[in-house]
This record gives sequence, structure tokens and C-alpha cells, in this order.
Amino acid sequence: MIIAIPTGVKIFNWLFTMYHGRVTMSVPMLWTIGFISTFAIGGMTGIVMSLPPVDFQLHNSVFLVAHFHNVIIGGVVFGYFAGVTYWFPKLFGFYLNEKWGRRSFWCWIVGFYVAFMPLYALGLMGMTRRLDHYPASTGWHPFLVVAAAGASIIGMGILCQCIQVYVSIKERHINRDLTGDAWKNGRTIEWSIPSPAPFYNFAVTPVVHDRDAFWEMKEKNLPNPNIQVQAHYPEIHMPHNTSAGFIIAIFSGFFGFGMVWHIYWMIAFGLIGVFATAMARTFNQKTDYYIKSDEIRKTEMERV
Amino acid sequence: MTELVMEREMATAIDHHNGNHDHDHSHDDHQHHNDDIDVFGFWIYIMTDCVLFATLFAAYSVLEGATFSGPTLKQLISLPYVLTETMCLLASSFTYGLVMLSIYKHKRNFALFWLTLTFFLGLSFVGLEVHEFIHLYSDGHSWHVSAALSAFFTLVGTHGTHVSIGLIWMALMICQLAKYGVTPQINKRLTYLGLFWHFLDIVWIFVFTIVYLMGAI
Repeated sequence: MIIAIPTGVKIFNWLFTMYHGRVTMSVPMLWTIGFISTFAIGGMTGIVMSLPPVDFQLHNSVFLVAHFHNVIIGGVVFGYFAGVTYWFPKLFGFYLNEKWGRRSFWCWIVGFYVAFMPLYALGLMGMTRRLDHYPASTGWHPFLVVAAAGASIIGMGILCQCIQVYVSIKERHINRDLTGDAWKNGRTIEWSIPSPAPFYNFAVTPVVHDRDAFWEMKEKNLPNPNIQVQAHYPEIHMPHNTSAGFIIAIFSGFFGFGMVWHIYWMIAFGLIGVFATAMARTFNQKTDYYIKSDEIRKTEMERV
Repeated sequence: MTELVMEREMATAIDHHNGNHDHDHSHDDHQHHNDDIDVFGFWIYIMTDCVLFATLFAAYSVLEGATFSGPTLKQLISLPYVLTETMCLLASSFTYGLVMLSIYKHKRNFALFWLTLTFFLGLSFVGLEVHEFIHLYSDGHSWHVSAALSAFFTLVGTHGTHVSIGLIWMALMICQLAKYGVTPQINKRLTYLGLFWHFLDIVWIFVFTIVYLMGAI
């Protein structure tokens, strides 16, 4: 219930974001609808497993394996791909190839169901997880062959994505996002800045009055100072680049690994590394700077 | 079809911060505003630490009688010894106050002197406490023996660990103050350390009262 009820709320939230909208079946939308539907089904099989007498049979069977892949692939992976496809133009200034995006989506979603639905049946038939062999007399083999075929369909989906990246980069000059409003009807302010986003992101900090601030700007025909070059820009306070956070994360990794496997020298190494890096960072006097108005103006003019 | 907008009044209307090149002043305003919020943020951290100690005090109060037929704390501690520890820590809080007064007067060397003195007083406190712990442990009164001793070592030990971390921080601040002098950033950091140090002093008052004094009655 702790998982199911809030998740149920979220599913309805996501569906209602489409309310009153005209839905375009773009590649991010395909991934998103794939996510909501697949994740919901995976969640339901989780609820099946939450009943103790049922779990007595299904715990550590491949039914469990199918369930968690259902939520991880349907949920995390599809959601992630939707996000990457959606914001890619903002980051890099050109779109991912649409044709290969659609092909990879269909391979992934068909492949997923072909690979994992047999595992639900197998779990109910008693197959446990982490087996390296099984007798033919179990009758499991045909199901596993189907599952293997599904896995290879997913493999084709991944291949399509590799091709997609290659083709997109090769054809980037044809597929530039010229306006910054990559998906044409952007409602939120990240779409009000150019693509790729300038390193300072917003040349002028927008003043937000309402939800969907960019949509409001469009409706009320307000000028967009992040697209229209201004005579003068206020200074922008920026942090200098630093690897300190990344290095602290690496040391934390050593700490965590040592803690799991009780490797005491590694624990000490990680812990000392984390704090030494943080302490060394406090001696850094040059952590931030201001971008001056003319430099901002120059960058903005170059873009036009 | 140029996108240049040279004299649009609306453009400057959107720019709320500082259309008029008064950059340094606006940075200062921005900076002071940040300082208040930052100090408040540190207070919030202190309050979470307070919750931590509150739970340890609660655990101690519940378990102090569970000595597993061993001696009570009254029989194990020496009040004069604990008084010495307490005076070290209280004095260190006082000397820290003198640090901040020196900082406000921009007197770096005085601040360094009082900060070093605070450090040694704090170090004495930790030294005395570690000595007490070693003494108890080697006499067979370790945290493994009873719930009461477990609660004692956890509560007092957590406080001592906080003080030790404060000492490391203090050593760092001595280095930075010596290197960079009295800057607004150093001022901020010493303010946080001051809050931390005084907070630990207050927690010690509670430890001293609840664990040692009440145990001794």
C-alpha cells in the first residue's frame, strides 16, 4: 500500500497532464505512453506478490524477476529514453533521428513483452530464479526460447538506438533546432532560451507569474529577452567549473564498497578522501565569477 | 530582419535587478541577503543535531538504571574530574567569544591567539574525556557490559566526537585566518563554528547535569 497508493496517484497525475491537450505521437510521447502503461502493469504484478500466501509461492521465482523488470524497464528505462529524446535538442542543438527513434521504441516495447510475459507463466509454474540448468521434463524450455527471442528483439532496439545516435550526429546540420522551442508548443521556460542552451542558460532571468510561464508569454505576446538581443544585460553570477564534487563522489564509492564487503582500509581511504577533498575545496578562493554585460551581449549577437 | 531591440522600454522593465550599472552595491545587497539565509540554514542544521542529542538523552534516561547488577555511575566517576573537564569547555566557549570580538574589530592576530587558546582548551576537554573512557573500559566497565553503560558511552561519546570534529574545523579555520586574514567569508565561517561550539557547550551542560550530577545524587 505504501508503494501502490502514491504510485496510483502519480499515474493519474501523468494521465491528467494530457487533459485538454492535443496529443502528438512524437517519439518522446511514444516512450511516455509506453512507460505509463508498462509501469502500471508491472506495479499490478507487484501487488499480486504483496499477498503473503501468493508470495509464498512466487518469492524468488521468475515471476518476481518479470515483475521488477516490468517496472524497471517500463518505468525507469522508458521514462529515461523519453526524457533523453525530449531534451536532447535543448542540450545539443539538433534533434535525434525520428525514424530510428520509432524503430527502437517498437523493438524495445515488443521485445520487452515477448521476453518477460513467459517469465510470469514460468514463475507460476514454479521456476525459481538464478538457475544455470533445468531438466526438459519441467516443460519450461519453450517458454524460455520465446523469452530469448524477446531479448534479441530488445537487442535490435538497442542497435536501432546506436544507429540513431550515429545518424543524428552525422545529419546534425540538417536537423538543427533553430528557435529553441524544439517541440513547437513548449509551455515551460526552458524552451524560451536558444538551443543549444548558452552556458549561462538564461541571459535575462524571466519573471514568472503563473504556471507554464512560456505559454503565458506566448498568449500575452510578451517580448522574450532570451531570444531578442538586448541593449544591456545585467551581470550573471556564475560558479567556476570544478571537479571537487565528482572526486568526492568517487571517494564515496570506495567508502560504500568497503562498507558492504567490510574492507576496512578501503572504508578509511574513502572516508578520509571525502573529507580531505571537501576541506581542500574550502581553501579555494576563486569559486565564482560574474559575466559582464558586453560579454553576454557578444554571445547573444553571435548566435543571431 | 534583425532581432536587435535597441530602445525598447519593455526590455529594461523586465530587468528588475539593476538597470543602472550600480553593480558593486547590488552585489553587496545580494551578499548580505545571502548571509542571513546562510546563517539561518546553519541554525537549522544545529536544530537537527539537537534532535539527535535529545534522542540520546531520552535513551540514557530510560536505561540509566539498567546496570545489570553492576555499579551505578555514581560509584564510577569522580565529580572533581568532571568539573575540570567542564571548566575547560566553558572557558573555551568564553575564549571563542573573544575570537569573534577580535574579528569584528578586524584584529587578526588577537583572533588567532584566542582561537588557538580555544583549541587547546577544547583539546584538553577531549583528552580528559578519552582518559576517563579508557579508565572505565580497562576496569571492565565497557559499553558491552550493560544497557546503562551502553547509553552512557553513546551519549557522552557522541558529544565528544562532535567536539573533536569541531577541533578539526577549528584547526582549519586557524590556517585560513592566518592565510587570508579577516574576510567576509572567514567571518561567516567563524560565525558557523561559533554556533557549533556554543551549542556543544550547552549540550555538555545537559550531559553534566543529567548524567553526572543527577547520577551522583
